[in-house]
Amino acid sequence: MLTTISRRSLMIAAFGIAAAAAPAMAQDWPSAPLHVYVGFPAGSSPDTIARLIAEPLAESLGQPVVIENKPGAGGVIGVQQMLAQKPDGYSFGVTINGPLTTAQRLIPDLGYDPATDVAPITLIATSPLVLAVAADFPADDVDAFVADAKARPDEISYGSVGKGSGAHLTAELFASDAGIVLFHIPFQSYAEVTTSILSGEIDSGFMAPSAAVPHVEAGTMKMLGITSSEVFPLVPDVPVLAGKAGLPDDFRAELWNAFIAPAGTDPAIIARLNTEIDAILENEDLQGKLLAMGWKTAGGTPEDLAARIETDTALWGAVIDKTEAQN
Amino acid sequence: MTTIEGLAHGLSVALQPSILIYSLFGALLGTFVGVLPGIGAMAAITLLLPITYYISSEAALVMLAGVYYGAQYGGAVASILLRLPGTPQSAVTTLDGYPLAQQGRAGVALFTSMISSFTGSMLGIVVLVVLAGWLAGMATLFGAAEYAAMMIMGLVAASTIGSERPAKNFAMVVVGLILGCVGTDVNSGAQRLTFGQPVLMDGINMVALAMGLFGVAEVITNIPIAERRGPPARVSLRQLVPTRNDIRRMTAAIPRGAALGGFFGALPGTGSTISSFLAYALERRISRTPERFGKGAIEGIAGPEAANNSASITAFVPTLTLGIPGDPIMALMLGALVIHGVQPGPMMLQSRPDMFWGLVASFGIGNIFLLLINLTLIGVWVSILRIPFRWLYPAIIVFVCLGVYSVRGATFDIAMVAGIGAIGYALTLASFSPALLLLGFVLGPLIETNLRRALLISRGDAMVFLERPIACGFVVATAALILLPLVKSLIRSRAPDKSRAD
Repeated sequence: MLTTISRRSLMIAAFGIAAAAAPAMAQDWPSAPLHVYVGFPAGSSPDTIARLIAEPLAESLGQPVVIENKPGAGGVIGVQQMLAQKPDGYSFGVTINGPLTTAQRLIPDLGYDPATDVAPITLIATSPLVLAVAADFPADDVDAFVADAKARPDEISYGSVGKGSGAHLTAELFASDAGIVLFHIPFQSYAEVTTSILSGEIDSGFMAPSAAVPHVEAGTMKMLGITSSEVFPLVPDVPVLAGKAGLPDDFRAELWNAFIAPAGTDPAIIARLNTEIDAILENEDLQGKLLAMGWKTAGGTPEDLAARIETDTALWGAVIDKTEAQN
Repeated sequence: MTTIEGLAHGLSVALQPSILIYSLFGALLGTFVGVLPGIGAMAAITLLLPITYYISSEAALVMLAGVYYGAQYGGAVASILLRLPGTPQSAVTTLDGYPLAQQGRAGVALFTSMISSFTGSMLGIVVLVVLAGWLAGMATLFGAAEYAAMMIMGLVAASTIGSERPAKNFAMVVVGLILGCVGTDVNSGAQRLTFGQPVLMDGINMVALAMGLFGVAEVITNIPIAERRGPPARVSLRQLVPTRNDIRRMTAAIPRGAALGGFFGALPGTGSTISSFLAYALERRISRTPERFGKGAIEGIAGPEAANNSASITAFVPTLTLGIPGDPIMALMLGALVIHGVQPGPMMLQSRPDMFWGLVASFGIGNIFLLLINLTLIGVWVSILRIPFRWLYPAIIVFVCLGVYSVRGATFDIAMVAGIGAIGYALTLASFSPALLLLGFVLGPLIETNLRRALLISRGDAMVFLERPIACGFVVATAALILLPLVKSLIRSRAPDKSRAD
């Protein structure tokens, strides 16, 4: 509660300061190229999303939008690099949820506070994860999976892309909500997790639906459930996990990508970008491209994004507390 | 669709002028970036990626693939002429290629690397066509235990390459292993040797390490001697022609390298850098005259170059048949496919045969382009050596910095390459082999993560390495590699000393 109040008052304060200086800046904005920092290499999904947005954005703003790939540390380097620029309305970022929600807990010398140093602009897209198992795994639905896990605690293994990754925290959230204990095997990429499930080396894993679909079609993998609150259009027959097998009705664990700016950026510019990007997200061709990659377009106000950051920080913070207590 | 029909169909796709032009462009660009030290296929593909959104998926992939294997050809050029590996995959090519160039046989060395690259690629394509299904199955047979055992065997097998002093070799491998530890520990998430620097969280940049150890160190080494050494003579066409002896050595080494590279390339957890190191180690091990290695042995170029090109072709097996990319470049290609609505995976051969076979056919065509481009360019490449030191070497340093920066846009890495370069120079002075440091650096993290993962999955039971047949095979082979030289030296110590006779 305290954090809510302090952030609100800070935003109001920032608004007030910037509003005084705004007229001179906002009128002829943009008069130079925009730089968008992405904390992942070219070709990665955050990069592709940033590029798909950048092109129509450049068109509507009449200025080039340059993607700056600064990969490393799970996207944190990209946010750090963006924050190292002046909040002059020409430096922005596209980032996944990690650097804004869990990085402050997992990285000791982060150098920024997501709550005060980052100005949210808009939520671009969200991606749920599916609980995937090999085709010959005994359980056919999540109820059977949980029952199986209850019968042999700490025996069913799952792969993630490293400690503290979305896949790891999602699985831990799922396990603690369902009252089961799963055995964690960390990997470095989803590709390795997939191979390992297919070869029977590990039992399960939470992964992007787009990565699981080809193997499901080939009959070598099953999807037991999805972590979004509604059925996901890419995999319409996969049931939502929420409300099943003892999980709460509001169970939701999603990765997301957001458009952000350094705190102190002119609110008029933030409002303009929010409107432009939301309009771009309405484009059906873009929606189709994102969906093929497993992302569902979102949109909304900067306040919606701020609220999402806050909810997820609390959600994952609790999971991190729990996993740290186990070790 | 049978294989023959598929190939015929693939050729009809790949021979469309619009596809051909992209293949040629990709091959040319790949050769060019491969030759430039530090700037590799990754940087070029990254730059081209936005363009691929606007062209057909076949053209896009054919172009990116052209860059990818073109860089493998080009990478050898700077390795041979300047002892600067154009790409990490061609680092071992410096070991024998550079001595050959110093002996005035640069043309032959380049010719060997081109013809080995071409044959290696073509054999890789045959493997891809004939064994794709079988190799895809291999990928799921290899778990953490198999990878760990195989990499340990690789480390043991390759740790004898380089200088002739075992203690110095061993020290270099160990330093490489330690440098490989830098970064986030996969299992615990702990930071190791990062000194609180987020830029080090993902480990040391391999391009910075390779360019520092080889490139920058070589430039420093040359400062006192370069201006006194006159420019090499012009290379005539006749000097390109290898002797009969060269050809004999080559013809045996190329298929061996291609087979080894083809196998390693198809395993998603390995990568083509390792295949070139292992091919070199293999050639040296089975050679009757291992003392020629490091002084200009033709097999020392032919084996690794055939291996890394063959590996770069078969690396498409897990990417296309399982949707599992083996390295960051393959991940980029996969991303390019997904953008075009093609989801690689087990069903791709059925759902998009045009794509699969078109790509296979374009590999063949692209490699023919590359052979022609590179054979005609050998004269041009060799003439690089005629550029005066004061022009050439500063330019090299600029390209090294550009290349290192292009990997992840970090200025930190440029400072790093300078520091590593100074260390590399010191190592060269003390006649340590930087190739072995690189080997330890590449294999160390792979061994560690797979070993720990295997033990985690088996809940700490080390017998997993002996119970799983493939892993057990590698363990036995590793033991044999260590014990055989011991047995040999025992036998030799009983027999009269013949080693001095030759």
